[in-house]
Formats: sequence, C-alpha cells, structure tokens
Amino acid sequence: MKITVRAFADYREFIGKEMELIVPEEKTIGELLAELGDRYPKLRSEMFTPTGELKDFINIFINGRNIAFLKDMATPLTDGDIIALFPPVAGG
Amino acid sequence: MYGWIGRYLRIDLGSGTVRKEVITPDLARKYLGGRGLGTHFMMTEVDPKVDPLSPQNKLIFAAGPLCGTNAPSASHYDVISKGPLNGTIAASSSGGLFGPMLKYAGYDMIILEGKSAKPVYLWICDDVVEIRDAAEIWGKTVPETTEAIRSATDEEASVACIGPAGERLVLFANVMNECGRAAGRSGVGAVMGSKNLKAIAVRGTGAVRVPDPKAFREAVVKASAKIKANSVGGKGLKNYGTDVLVNILNELGGLPTRNFLDGYFPTADKVGGESLAKQLLIRPRGCYACIISCGRATKVTNPKFAGQGEGPEYETAWAFGPDCGIDDLDAVTKANYICNDYGMDTITMGSSVACAMNLFENGVITTKDTDGIALNFGDAEAMVELVRKTAEGEGFGKKLALGSYRMAESYGHPEYSMTCKKQEMPAYDPRAIQGIGLNFATGNRGGCHVRGYTISPEVLGQPVKLDPRVTEGKPALDITFQDLTAALDSSGMCLFTTFGLGAEDLAELLSAATGLNITTEEFMKIGARIWNLERLFNLKAGLSALDDKLPERLTKEPILTGPSKGLVNRIDEMLPEYYKLRGWDSAGIPTKNTLADLGL
Repeated sequence: MKITVRAFADYREFIGKEMELIVPEEKTIGELLAELGDRYPKLRSEMFTPTGELKDFINIFINGRNIAFLKDMATPLTDGDIIALFPPVAGG
Repeated sequence: MYGWIGRYLRIDLGSGTVRKEVITPDLARKYLGGRGLGTHFMMTEVDPKVDPLSPQNKLIFAAGPLCGTNAPSASHYDVISKGPLNGTIAASSSGGLFGPMLKYAGYDMIILEGKSAKPVYLWICDDVVEIRDAAEIWGKTVPETTEAIRSATDEEASVACIGPAGERLVLFANVMNECGRAAGRSGVGAVMGSKNLKAIAVRGTGAVRVPDPKAFREAVVKASAKIKANSVGGKGLKNYGTDVLVNILNELGGLPTRNFLDGYFPTADKVGGESLAKQLLIRPRGCYACIISCGRATKVTNPKFAGQGEGPEYETAWAFGPDCGIDDLDAVTKANYICNDYGMDTITMGSSVACAMNLFENGVITTKDTDGIALNFGDAEAMVELVRKTAEGEGFGKKLALGSYRMAESYGHPEYSMTCKKQEMPAYDPRAIQGIGLNFATGNRGGCHVRGYTISPEVLGQPVKLDPRVTEGKPALDITFQDLTAALDSSGMCLFTTFGLGAEDLAELLSAATGLNITTEEFMKIGARIWNLERLFNLKAGLSALDDKLPERLTKEPILTGPSKGLVNRIDEMLPEYYKLRGWDSAGIPTKNTLADLGL
C-alpha cells in the first residue's frame, strides 16, 4: 500500500518535506516510524526517548487525526493514508 | 508596594490637566493591573452605553505588577476602552518596551479622558509629563511618527502611537509601539484618534522594586527553565515564528479558507512559517526580557510587493492568505506592512477583505461597489489594493474601514461576516475544533483566540492532548483558559509563557515580585473576577446571551474538503453547561451568589 509522509518545521531538515512509501499491508504507525527511525536516526532521536517513548508535545496525524485519539502507535495504516509529523510547536 | 509602582497618571485631554493618583494595595491585589485594573476603572467611571468615539469614553494604558521585572517575557501592557468595532469592553495587549518603560517612569497606568481640541502627543519622562502639539506629525505613518517623536524627545523613548488609520477612525485601528508591536484588536487606536491623541512617548529611569531580589531571581530562573523546556522555548517559535501553525492547522483540516467556506487550503504551506523562514526572514525579534523571540524581521524584494518590516504572524498570514484564498507570501507580507505602517488590525482587515470577496463572488456586490476591482478569492493584487485603500481612506476602503460586519450589513447580508459579537474570528475553524468555537462565542471582546487559547490542548497537545472533535469537557476547559488568561494579561506577562507555565508558576512569580502570598486559587479567582466584570460591562452596554453565538455558517454548513470534511460546530451542546459552570443563569447573567463570591 502507498503511504504519504509529510514533515514539518525542523523535521524537514531530517527527511525532507514529503515522501511516498510503499509498505506491506497490516503495518501500524509505530512500525512505520520505527523503520523511518532506522533510515533517519536524527528523526528518531528527535521524536523518541532512548527507551522508545514518544517525546512530549510531538504530534502525529493520520489523515488529520492525532494518533492519540486513534490507537496511538498501534493504529493500523491503510492504503492512501497521509501521515503528518510535527515537532513541538506553539504560537497563536 | 513591590511589583506595582502604586501610582498612575490621570490626564484630561480636554483641559490639559495632569494628575498623579495612587493605586491602593487592596485594589491592586483585587485586579492586579493591565486588563483587570483597566476594566475596573472603565466599569466604575464610564457608562457602558457610551459612544466609544465620544469624549466621554476613556482610554487606559495599563501595565501589570510583573511587567518590567526580569521575569521571562514580562513585557506586556494593555490598552483598555470601550471598543468601537463592536461596543464591547476592549482590552488589547502588546509587548515591546512600552509597558516596562511606563513603569520605569514611575506609573502603573495612564487614564486618558476627554478630547483634545487639536492633535497632541504625550511626553512622559519620569516626573515630567507634557502634552505637546502634534500638528506636524498628524497624518504620518507609524514609523515616521516614532522617528519624529524620538528625535524631538529622546532616542531611547518608547513610542506607542496611532497611524493615519487611527486618525481616520478606522474601526479596527490599533495602537502600535516600537513600530512592529500592536495592541491590535477591537479598534482601541480609533478611540485614541477620536481624542486627537497621536502618541505617547515614555522614557523612564527608575526600576520595579521586588521585596527579596534573591528570592525573585530564583523564581525567575525556575520559570525560565520551565519555558525553555517546553515547545514555546524550543526551536520552533524562534526558527519559524507563530506562522509555524499554518501547516498543523491545515493538516488537521481546521484552517479557515475563503471566508470560512472551507477548512482546508491545499497550498497553505506556501504561506507557512517554514516558507517564511526560507524566503523572507532576516532575523527573529523579541520583546523586552523575551526568551522566546517569536517576532519576525522580514524583507520582501519582489518589486510588486517590496517592503521591509515585521511579520507576518500566524493570524496575519492566515487572514491575508488562506482566508482570502491566497498563497502568495510576498503579497501577504506586504499587506501586513501596510497595516503596521497605518496602524490597523490585520485579523479584521484580512477577514473583511475575505468577506468582500465572498460577497463579490456571490453577486451581492459588483465592481460598481468596489471601485472597479474584481474581488475574486485568490487575487493577491486585489487584496493588497483593498488594504491600501482602507489605509488611505479611499473609495471602497471606507466601507472596509467599518469591519466586515457593518460592511456586509450595509449590503443587506451580515451573515457573510465571520464574526462573533461583530469582531472577526481568528485562524481556527470551530467546525474542526469544538472548544475554540465556544471560546469565540463567549469571548468578552468577540471573536478572539487570546481570551482562551484552547488550541493548545485541542491541536498542539499542550499540556495534554484533547480531542478537538469532542464537546464533552470543553466548557470547563474554556473557563479555565479564559480565567488563566485574564489573570495573566493583568500580571504583565506575555501569553506565550503559558505554554510552559501554569497558574501555580505564575502565582509563584507574582508572589515573589509583590511580596504577597498569592496562591494558585487566588490567581485563578482574580481571573474569574475580571472575566465576570467584563461580562457585566457588556451586559450593561446592551449585549445579551443572544450575542454568545457563532456565525450560522459554522453550525449549519459543514467543512467542504480535507480531513475535517463534513464537520460543523456543536455549540448548543456546550453553551448551557458553560453558563452553569460560570455561575450564570440561563440568560447568561452572573447570579448574585457568583458576584458575591468574586467580590463584585
């Protein structure tokens, strides 16, 4: 299945603005991020603690929904999903 | 007194009388300063039914007890008045250096009364207070005025002034200080213009006293560390400015697009903070004692929209960008520069252009109304031209100068105005984010995000992640944010510190600065007191529960595209509970018990 990953703010420095990935079925967002972390260690260190926990104030959306309101890292991906990765941001 | 100076200026512009008066400790503790103290004086001295642009209205510049200390980002002051845009109690906050300088000169506040017979400006240098002739600077832009007054007084002076828009009584004219910082909303600049007051220049050589400098320094270090550890003190705001929010709101499907016809703008990234940093940013800018530096010093070299100045902030980039269907960052920034130079609120200006485009595309107005300009969404040149016309007071610009509500109403269609209480909503779509919709509807100065920024938990996940699509729990959330912000605005701190600091931290800082034992509970109760006092002012001005609403578009017309497609705001599920939790009756009136509990 095809998954689009979009990066914002500082994350663009690590993985670019947007990429399309072809991944096998039955993959979760957690598994996908682990694989991305293998390819981009800087992204992993910015997003996750050394013990693998998502750091505070980082937001991950799948099709506009924060994974915190889905099944978190266990959220299954489906073909055509758009994933958006945001480092901590503030403003107003 | 510590923290406070304990003294303020009362200036009658009609007679030229200047008096120095004392703030009692009890009153200071009850309302702190800034927005709270100013609202108290408005409530006790001004008839809420007053014509905002008449001499009977008052204009108050007020700083809080922390302002001017070395607490992190303790730069803010408020301009309080009855606002001409919508007739509600107006309190507009600004950073920069003006607030601290006012306190160093020896004053917590200035109350301006009456109307000068001719244009004047104030020059305050410690104990010397002069009302000076402003004939030569009347008509000048904000940078020209600032430079001229500094040359005539002191190059170190902080200048808060109006531009030509304030002189012409544009209903959303603002007060600018340090050229790029704005007390932006509700038209407080028009009130200043109505009094023939062009500027206030202040230079102070004193200091803000704290009872125990060592203990205060420790509290400051602790608070600063908390802010630095939070996202607001991280790289995001410094590198990208507040405009970094464009993409997260758009990816959520909560970025109002084309006058709120939609909530998603496919090319939003072109006006986002990442693009701004790459294309236009010269350097970040911070206010007094700022450890965040969210301000943007920028330059546009594109000859069509060339200029240099400050901005755009997120709200501005949205208002002139996606809300008008525009993704041209140069044009957006140019419109921002015009607003800064002439002294106009960018949110109301941009939203009024968007409203006009909506009216034009639906055939309500034609080129006969718009000086021959076709107003289609996405037309960047037309947008900038309308901003210029409003600034210059030309043709159709005179209609836009009334704000979107009165402009649309004059064509028989106020429903095109995306306002709450006739003030334009900012850059968050209440159909995608339920809690912020309730906040807009109940806002005491109308549509406004800085009265209760529930976007923090609902979108940014701070301090916790709350589902933006859920209405449950949002009334209590809104009240907490509204009260916290009211107390914060009255303390003299920048709102952005609340990304890292909670009520407990702010109460601790206040206690260390004032020597009083202000508990977290007392801090929040002060906020509730101010909120209710503002509500009472509005009720006496003639507003009612009927005004606590969102435009019908947001409750009846779903978002068309993007991740939030199909959603509407469900304010009816939230408003009754909000009244109940506030201690108000079903008509939105604070009960006697509530007022007694708050000492009102």
